[in-house]
Amino acid sequence: MKAILTDVSKCIGCDKCVEACDSEQKQRPYKLWKWSSDDGLSGDRFTSVLRLDNNHYVRKQCRHCVSPACVSVCPVGALKKTPEGPVVYDADKCMGCRYCMMACPYGIPRYTWQDAVPLVRKCTMCYENRIKQGKQPTCTEACTEEATIFGERNHLLTVAKRRLRQQSDKYIQKVYGEKDVGGTGVLYISPVKLNFLGWKEEVGTNPLPLLTAPAMTAVLPAFFTVGAGMTALHWITKRRQMVAEMKQTETTHIKPLDRSSEDETENS
Amino acid sequence: MKLKTVKALLWFFLGIGTITGAARFLFGLGATTNLTDTTPWGIWIGFDVMGGVALAAGGFVLAGSVYILRLERYRPIVRAAVLTAFLGYLAVAVGLLFDLGLPWNIWHLIIFWNPHSPLFEVGWCVMLYLTILLLEFSPVVLEKIPALESVCKALKKAALPLVVLGIMLSTLHQSSLGSLMLIMPFRLHPLWYSPILPVMFLVSAVGLGLAMVIFEATVTGWLYDREHETDLLSGLGKAASVVLGFYIVLKLVDLAVQGKFGFLFQHSWETWIYWLELILSAALPAALLSRQRIRNSKAGLLSSATLVVIGFVWNRINVSGIATIRATGTDYVPSLIEISISLWVVSAAVLVFLFFVEHFKVWEEEAGTRDALHAPPVFEPVSQTWNDETFYGSVKRHSLVYAMGAALALMLLPQDARTGAQPVVIPVQRARIADKLVIDGNRSGMAVSFDHDLHKQKNGETESCRLCHHMRKPLDKTTPCADCHRDMQRMTYIFDHDLHREKLQAQDGCVKCHENTNLPKTFKTVTDCETCHTDMRLQNSVIKVDEKTPKNYAGGYQDAMHGLCITCHTQKKEELKKPRHDECATCHRDLPKMVIAKLDTLYGRLP
Repeated sequence: MKAILTDVSKCIGCDKCVEACDSEQKQRPYKLWKWSSDDGLSGDRFTSVLRLDNNHYVRKQCRHCVSPACVSVCPVGALKKTPEGPVVYDADKCMGCRYCMMACPYGIPRYTWQDAVPLVRKCTMCYENRIKQGKQPTCTEACTEEATIFGERNHLLTVAKRRLRQQSDKYIQKVYGEKDVGGTGVLYISPVKLNFLGWKEEVGTNPLPLLTAPAMTAVLPAFFTVGAGMTALHWITKRRQMVAEMKQTETTHIKPLDRSSEDETENS
Repeated sequence: MKLKTVKALLWFFLGIGTITGAARFLFGLGATTNLTDTTPWGIWIGFDVMGGVALAAGGFVLAGSVYILRLERYRPIVRAAVLTAFLGYLAVAVGLLFDLGLPWNIWHLIIFWNPHSPLFEVGWCVMLYLTILLLEFSPVVLEKIPALESVCKALKKAALPLVVLGIMLSTLHQSSLGSLMLIMPFRLHPLWYSPILPVMFLVSAVGLGLAMVIFEATVTGWLYDREHETDLLSGLGKAASVVLGFYIVLKLVDLAVQGKFGFLFQHSWETWIYWLELILSAALPAALLSRQRIRNSKAGLLSSATLVVIGFVWNRINVSGIATIRATGTDYVPSLIEISISLWVVSAAVLVFLFFVEHFKVWEEEAGTRDALHAPPVFEPVSQTWNDETFYGSVKRHSLVYAMGAALALMLLPQDARTGAQPVVIPVQRARIADKLVIDGNRSGMAVSFDHDLHKQKNGETESCRLCHHMRKPLDKTTPCADCHRDMQRMTYIFDHDLHREKLQAQDGCVKCHENTNLPKTFKTVTDCETCHTDMRLQNSVIKVDEKTPKNYAGGYQDAMHGLCITCHTQKKEELKKPRHDECATCHRDLPKMVIAKLDTLYGRLP
C-alpha cells in the first residue's frame, strides 16, 4: 500500500507542495469564505502548511486511513479505498449528505459550499493522474527538502522508525499514523507534539468503522426478531380474545354479537 | 376563528419558505445556510430529519397497540396517528431534499449500495416505511371512491401484515438514526456519546410517539372544538410515563457503566444543557404523567406531552449538533433562511394534515361539519350570484398572507442569497503616508517602514499581490514579512555541507568536523564552527550569543545591524560627535517625520 511520510523537522514551510497540488488538481484560486476553517483546507485546497511552535511547519492533508470512516459511512459508496491505498471520491455517485465530513476523525473532507452543485473535495493522492501511472504524487515530487516523501507504507514505516532511533533526542518517539484509527496512509514524525491531527489529541488505535459494525450487523437479526415477536404477540392476543369470547358463550349461552370498541373499554 | 388564524399563519410561513427555498436551490447551500466545513450538519438534519422521524413515531406505536396488542379502544385515533406519521416522514424526505447537496441524486440510494453505512439503512427503511404508511392510510381516501371499493377492501385486509412490517422497519431506522453518530466518538461530547445510542433512540422514539399522539389529538381537538375521551389519552400518558422512566434509567445506567458519571457534575455549559434535556424530555413529564390527577386533566396531559416533544427534539438537535461544538471549536447558529425552510416544511405538513381532517374520515366519525369551510361556491338562483363566501373567502385570505410572506422574504433576503455566496473580503489598507507603509508585518509589536511599491515592482506587479495579501495563509490578513525574509529576525543556519565536503576533500574532511567517529554524525556532536572560522564571532563582538542561542548559528541581519551599529553609537556618542546616529531615523531615512515622531514615542530614543 502506498503512503506518504512527512518529517516535520525537515519542513521549512515553503508551501511548494500546496502550489504544486493546486496546479495539479486545477484548483480555483484560494478564497476565504465564511465557512472556511482556519487550517487552510477548503473545497479548493487539498493540502495546507500549518505553523507550529518553534518555527516548525507541518502539512495537513487527507490521511488515507487504512480502514477509512468516510468510506464506511457513505450511503451510496461514492468514497472508495483503492487497492493502491488512496481514498478516492466519485462525484457521479455522491448525493451530498455530507456524512463523510461528519465521520472523518480528522475533519478532512471539505465541501464547495459556494456552488449550486456542490461536491465533497479532498486529497486523492493524485490517484487518477499519477499513482495509476506509477508516478508519485505531485506534492512529494515538489518538496525540495524531502520533508514529505512517497513510497510503500511498510518501507516508509521503517524509514520513519530508523530516523526516530538514530535521532532519538530530536523526535517525539512516535510515528503519527502508524496505529492511529487503525493506521493511516499518511505518516508523520515530528520534534514537536502534533495535536492538530484530529478532533481529539488521542484518537486511539481502534478503526472507527468497528464502532458501527455491531449495530449494523444487528440490523437484519433485529428486523426478523421484531417481525417474529410481533406475529407471536398478535397470535397470543388473538387467542386470549377467543378464549375470553368462548368463556362468555359458555356462561351466557348466547352467541356474542359483534364486539365494538365500547364493549372493550367497559370491560377494562 | 382560531383555525383561521392558525391557517393564515401557516400560509404566511409557506410564502416565506417558497422564496428562501428557491434561493437555496438557485445559489447553493453556502449562500443560504450557516453550515461550515466543520459543522456540515445543521438544523435540517437535527430538527427536520432526526426530530421529524422521532416525532412521527406515534404511527407505529399506536398501530401496534391496536392491531397487535388489540387495545381496541385506541382504534378511533389510529388513523390520525398513521396520517401524522405519513406526513411526518414525507416532511423528513422533503426536508432532506433541501439539505442534500445533490438532491436529484437521492435515488442513487437504490442502485449504489453500501450496507455498512447506517445512513444507507435509514434511507432504505424510510423509503419502505413511507410506502407502507401510504398503503395503511390510503383506505381513508379510497373509501370515498366507490369504484375502488375492492382495492380498499384488500388494503383493509392487508392491514395486519402492513402494521407488522411497519413496526419492523420503524424499529430499525429509529435506532439506526442513533447508529449514525456511533462513528463520531471524538466529535460528540462524552455525555451524549454512547455505544447504545441506537437503543436510546428507539426507546425515546416510543415515548415520544406516545406523547406526540396526545399532543396532536389535544391540539386538533382544540382547533376543531371536538372533545376527546380524556381517559383514552390518559392511558397513553400512563404508558408514556413508564417508557420515559425506563429511558432515564437506561441513560443513567449507561453513563455509570461507561464511567462518565463525573461529567454530570462538571462545570461546563454542556452539563447544563444535558441536565435541561434530561429533565425536559423525560424526568419532568414522567413524573407528571405518573400522577393520575394530572393525567386526567387536559392541561396536564397537554403540558407534559409538549415537554416531551420539545425535550426530544432538543435531544436530537443536541446529539447531531450541539454536542460537537466543543470538539470542532465552531459554533453554528442556523441562518434565518434555514429556519424559514424548516418552518415551510412543517407548515406544509400541518396544512395537508388539516386538509385531510376536513375532507376525509380521519377520526372514525363524519367530517361533515368541517366541509363547509371549503365548500365550493354555490349558485344562488334568486339573486343570480355565486355564493362564494366560504370557498373564495379562505382562498383569498390564504393567497394574501402567502404573497405577504413571499414579499417579506424577498425584501429581507440577505445579499448572499440574492447573488450567490461571496468570499470574505478583508480590505487592504492603502498607503496613507506617501508610498511607504509603516506596518507591523510580523505582528511582533515592532513596526518597519515598508515600501509597498518596491515590493510590488520586484515581485511582478499585480501578480505579486497574492504573495502577501490573504491568499497564501489561512485567515492571515497578509503574509508575515519573515515568511520571505526568513533571516530577518532569526538566528540563521547557513552551513553548506556539500561545499565543506568538497573543499575539505571527502573522507579526511569528515573527521575534521565529526571528530569522534564512534558518535552518531549529528549536529549535536559536531565540532563548533568557530574552531575553524575563528573570525566568525569576534571576541569583542557586540552580538550577544546567549545561552539560548544554538551554537553554529550566525546572528540575523537585523540583529547584526541593530546590535552592532546602535550599541556602539550609543556608547561612543560623545566621542564621535555624531549624537543622533543611534536613532532609528539615522538609517531609516525614508521615514516621514510624522512616523519618526511616532516611532520615538513608541520605542523611545535609544539611551
